Amino acid sequence: MVSTRNYALSLEIEDLKSRLKDCSESEKAALTAELKQKKSTMAKAERKALFAQINRHKFIYIMLFIPVVYYFIFKYIPLWNAQIAFRDFISLKRTGITGGTWVGLQNFKTFIQSYYFWTLIRNTLMYSFGKILVSLPLSILLAIMIYECTHKALRKVVQTLSYLPHFLSWVIMYGVLLSLLSPSEGIFNDIIKLLGGTPRSFLTDTSAFPFIVILSDAWKEIGWSAIIFIAALMGIDGTLFEAAIVEGANSWQRVRYITLPSIKPVIVIVLLMKIGTILDAGFNQLYMLYSPAVYSVGDIIDTWVFRGTIEGRFSLATAAGIFKGVIGMTLLFISNWASRKFTESSLF
Amino acid sequence: MAKKNTYNSVAVRATAADRVFNIVVTILMVLLLIILIVPIWSTIALSFRPPAYIGTYLEGMFLAPWKWSAGAYRALLGNQGFLNSFWNSIKIMVMGVATALFLTIPMAYALSVKGVPGKKWITIFVMIPYVFNVGVVPTYLLISKLGLTNHLPSVFLPVALSTYNMIIMRQFFEGIPNDLRESAFIDGCNDLQIMFKIILPLSKAIIMTIGLYYAVAFWNDYMRSLLYLQKSSLKPLPLLLRDILIGTSMNDNLEANAFGTAPIEAIKAASVFISAIPMIIAYPFIQRYFTKGTLAGSVKG
Amino acid sequence: MKKTLIVLLVALIAMTAVFAQSATEAKSEGPMTITMLYAATQTEVGGLPDDWAGYQILKDKLGIDLQLQMLPSASSDQDLMVRAMAAADELPDFITVSRTVWADLVKQGMFADVTDDFAKMPERSKVMFGDSSKAFTTYNGRIYGFATPSAYAGNEGLLIRKDWLDKLGLKAPTTLDELYDVMYAFTYNDPDGNGKNDTYGYGAFVEEYVAYEAYPGRRFEPLMGAFGVEGTWNMSADNFGLKIHDPAYYDWMVFFKKMIDTGVIDPNWQSYKKDDFRAAWKQGKFGIFREQNSAYASENNYSPFDANFPDGGFIVVDAPIGPTGKNSVGPLVEGFRIFAINADVSAEKHAKIVEMFEWMSYGEGYMLCGYGMEGINYILDANGLPQSDASLGDMGYNKAGGQRYIQLRNSSFNYNNATETALRYPGYITKVSQKYMSAGDVLIEMQGKTWTRTPGQNSMPSPESADVYTYYMQGIAEFLNGKTALTEANWKAFIEQFDKIGGLAWEKAGYEYAKENGYLL
Repeated sequence: MVSTRNYALSLEIEDLKSRLKDCSESEKAALTAELKQKKSTMAKAERKALFAQINRHKFIYIMLFIPVVYYFIFKYIPLWNAQIAFRDFISLKRTGITGGTWVGLQNFKTFIQSYYFWTLIRNTLMYSFGKILVSLPLSILLAIMIYECTHKALRKVVQTLSYLPHFLSWVIMYGVLLSLLSPSEGIFNDIIKLLGGTPRSFLTDTSAFPFIVILSDAWKEIGWSAIIFIAALMGIDGTLFEAAIVEGANSWQRVRYITLPSIKPVIVIVLLMKIGTILDAGFNQLYMLYSPAVYSVGDIIDTWVFRGTIEGRFSLATAAGIFKGVIGMTLLFISNWASRKFTESSLF
Repeated sequence: MAKKNTYNSVAVRATAADRVFNIVVTILMVLLLIILIVPIWSTIALSFRPPAYIGTYLEGMFLAPWKWSAGAYRALLGNQGFLNSFWNSIKIMVMGVATALFLTIPMAYALSVKGVPGKKWITIFVMIPYVFNVGVVPTYLLISKLGLTNHLPSVFLPVALSTYNMIIMRQFFEGIPNDLRESAFIDGCNDLQIMFKIILPLSKAIIMTIGLYYAVAFWNDYMRSLLYLQKSSLKPLPLLLRDILIGTSMNDNLEANAFGTAPIEAIKAASVFISAIPMIIAYPFIQRYFTKGTLAGSVKG
Repeated sequence: MKKTLIVLLVALIAMTAVFAQSATEAKSEGPMTITMLYAATQTEVGGLPDDWAGYQILKDKLGIDLQLQMLPSASSDQDLMVRAMAAADELPDFITVSRTVWADLVKQGMFADVTDDFAKMPERSKVMFGDSSKAFTTYNGRIYGFATPSAYAGNEGLLIRKDWLDKLGLKAPTTLDELYDVMYAFTYNDPDGNGKNDTYGYGAFVEEYVAYEAYPGRRFEPLMGAFGVEGTWNMSADNFGLKIHDPAYYDWMVFFKKMIDTGVIDPNWQSYKKDDFRAAWKQGKFGIFREQNSAYASENNYSPFDANFPDGGFIVVDAPIGPTGKNSVGPLVEGFRIFAINADVSAEKHAKIVEMFEWMSYGEGYMLCGYGMEGINYILDANGLPQSDASLGDMGYNKAGGQRYIQLRNSSFNYNNATETALRYPGYITKVSQKYMSAGDVLIEMQGKTWTRTPGQNSMPSPESADVYTYYMQGIAEFLNGKTALTEANWKAFIEQFDKIGGLAWEKAGYEYAKENGYLL
């Protein structure tokens, strides 16, 4: 956007600067004055260019106005309200948001020093990473499979069925899992009994529970997550494929060299967004599925916080939320930087 | 000999490698079909379970269809509270999606245009609250101060602009070739006209998808409804379902039964299906917008 | 473009309509508006209909415009809702609240002092508000809520399949060892004679948290009572403490583990939710369990079992006697429901609320809340008792249409009234097996068994940190699952750690509380 006039100006300024270094005392004053004048001209020109840009895009700013106001009200004011994490908050009337006694990082200390803190962190990360590692590739795979399937009927049926589980709430999914995994009459255990093994209570077994959580979540969500990838696949330019075929590529190579790279930006964005919320590991699912027998592997930050909120520990719950936010924000900035460096796409 | 794949309309040459590819894809799809169907089928069978049922879960799944009883569905659809909640959820969903798209589309587009001064700062402004999910209480305090409690908008307004959805939409807008924008600009269009005349018509697929994401979120929400809607006349479906499904009443009036003789598992399964119906109906319509050609040009990196 | 505008217009109109409607509601004047948060009789059927006669009568006779708000079903949701409302100063004028939440909020001054209001409710005080009721809601010497009876005391019992006992030629067990033998026989000797190995002796599930019945909870109390470790607390003055500190608790754990390892208990007990458990006994999965009288014997609840097993039946047995001669079905506590008045209401409104609460407890108000409208939801029989007659069709108070009219029942019933009992639990003839059943008879039978009286145990304090109770539950569960070997040494280590992270502090707080309130036996 730098006009040729501005470019010439900047060259002149560079030239003046180098002359200033080698000049004599008498010339110095004159050169400095000239430099100052050229710099201010340059600054004025740059400002003019900036305003021209802003003016050109004035409708953008108008379009942004209402959403930004919305953001301010519904996202930033709650952040302001979240200061109750640093205070002894009781209620809006009795202490108000700013009226409660300041306790600083006390709630954070309570949270971090609580008996189960590291267990919660470990479980939360285990489920988040596990779900990303399993579900993301599977949903991409599903999207590609649907895209490449030649049997129209099969494709339609699978596509419709694949997103249905998303609508089944975890309350009902729990019943389904129970019917599959019940130690006395679940289908899996019936098969195990048939094969001569001893039935296991999967849902209360600490070594089996994490797998059940990750796999059942994958089952429930890959169809739904695939929708966004299917939409992306639909947007790939057909001419790319035709060109590839002309050059002799078979289907495998086509997928590897055209299809996947074309949707890479979408994959990266989705991955980055998931990393930003890495400490949300699926509250609804775990709350329904867990029981005291598997607390050691099933309790995550959100379930622990929820029990605290029911008991009225609002400040503590908010402190945990802020803690999650700080970690998530850091991870997001790091992965965004890494993504920009290595894949050219990034969130910001 | 070229075989045409009608979905992505790629003319595929039937080489050996291609045939293997197709077979592998087909096998995987069938496998997936089985894995998907088993639990869905078991839930459907559960919803039709007759009142006095004995037997294992396995038998239950393949229970002869003529033994099935529609008692659970009849009880639910005849329940005044159920119908009222259903209608409340429809209201929330429709108003919510309209508000959400009204907020999301302009912002996603605005952030997708290149060369807008200050765009980076606005993006950061937007991302910060995204990761800072400070939980229920701070938002609750805001909503009650705004006086929105016991009004339906309190359910969708706090989440009407989802950063996640907005970023995805922005990504798609960025993928539209810049030449279209540039040529329109040269013709004298400003950004607003470009958005309405050029970008939106090309983005039907993504707008439908994001609209669907919002619709599902609003339809399924119960946390906000629990906190903000205490009047029974405003109760939306997920809240009612939660009462039915978790169903631990505070008192012991167990001699009364809200749903007749249908077994409680059938009621639960049936209520979940009924609540999923709008989505199941809506999706095929939206799928139509996914046809090729609505997004001209390639998705650029 | 046009389409977008139309959609926007529709949304705008819809939103305005919603706002306008609520605005007009706020503008209405006349009788004093009182908002009341209540626990419905049956949450799923919906709120009290607008044509309920009580609304108009309250307006005309008492000058009250009653605005009702319903609590959700799950107790954790209820607590969350009330706490959130308190934090945002959105508490209604008259609130139904659980004891744990009440105990926290009363310290913050959220509830009004009602000590002097009992004198204004003579009719209600005739049937409620004994000393234990008043003690339940006393704080610092003043009373901050009305504790009304919420359930019949002692309404649960140990049930055994009589037909299974007969088939195997066994008699009803009285000791713990005999009970174990019966459990074993029920599991391995095919008591239902169908040739399949598909039955279990004992069946149970883990209830939602209850202060006086810690994990594993209510459904195991009859077995725990055999060791003297029923309930959470030992309330005797000279031996006060948490039951888990009792050495006999280890013996109970050993017995429980034996039950699990020998397979005599339905292994789903850790995963069942309440509805699964109830469905399971109706399908004949196990033969011994603790159940509530109405959940077992009321017509709606018994008929699936009756249809499946017309020749089947249950008897109520007393709790088994343990190795040291102890037995108990469980801790007997009076259940209370607290109605509190918001501390911020005017004195005038406060008085009106008390007036309304009294109106609901007798005569016309009692009938309207408890049974609905005469001639529509009930008719009076020859004895003047309300009956849901067949002539009323679907609008009878226990039928689908009429159930909505009795949603306020919890504000009027007193749960120790013979008429109430007879009406709620009438005798009837079962459809398939044609035998006489009565949940009322079962109630009396159950109440007559051996219970441990522990007044005040339902208001004992919870541990300071939720983690303490999590550690308690998790530890016990891991011993039962075999994750940690059940040895004296491991148990000792578990208790020591438990004490260290807050168990001892909890016990101490409990002692202080019990002493202060005179609950020590």
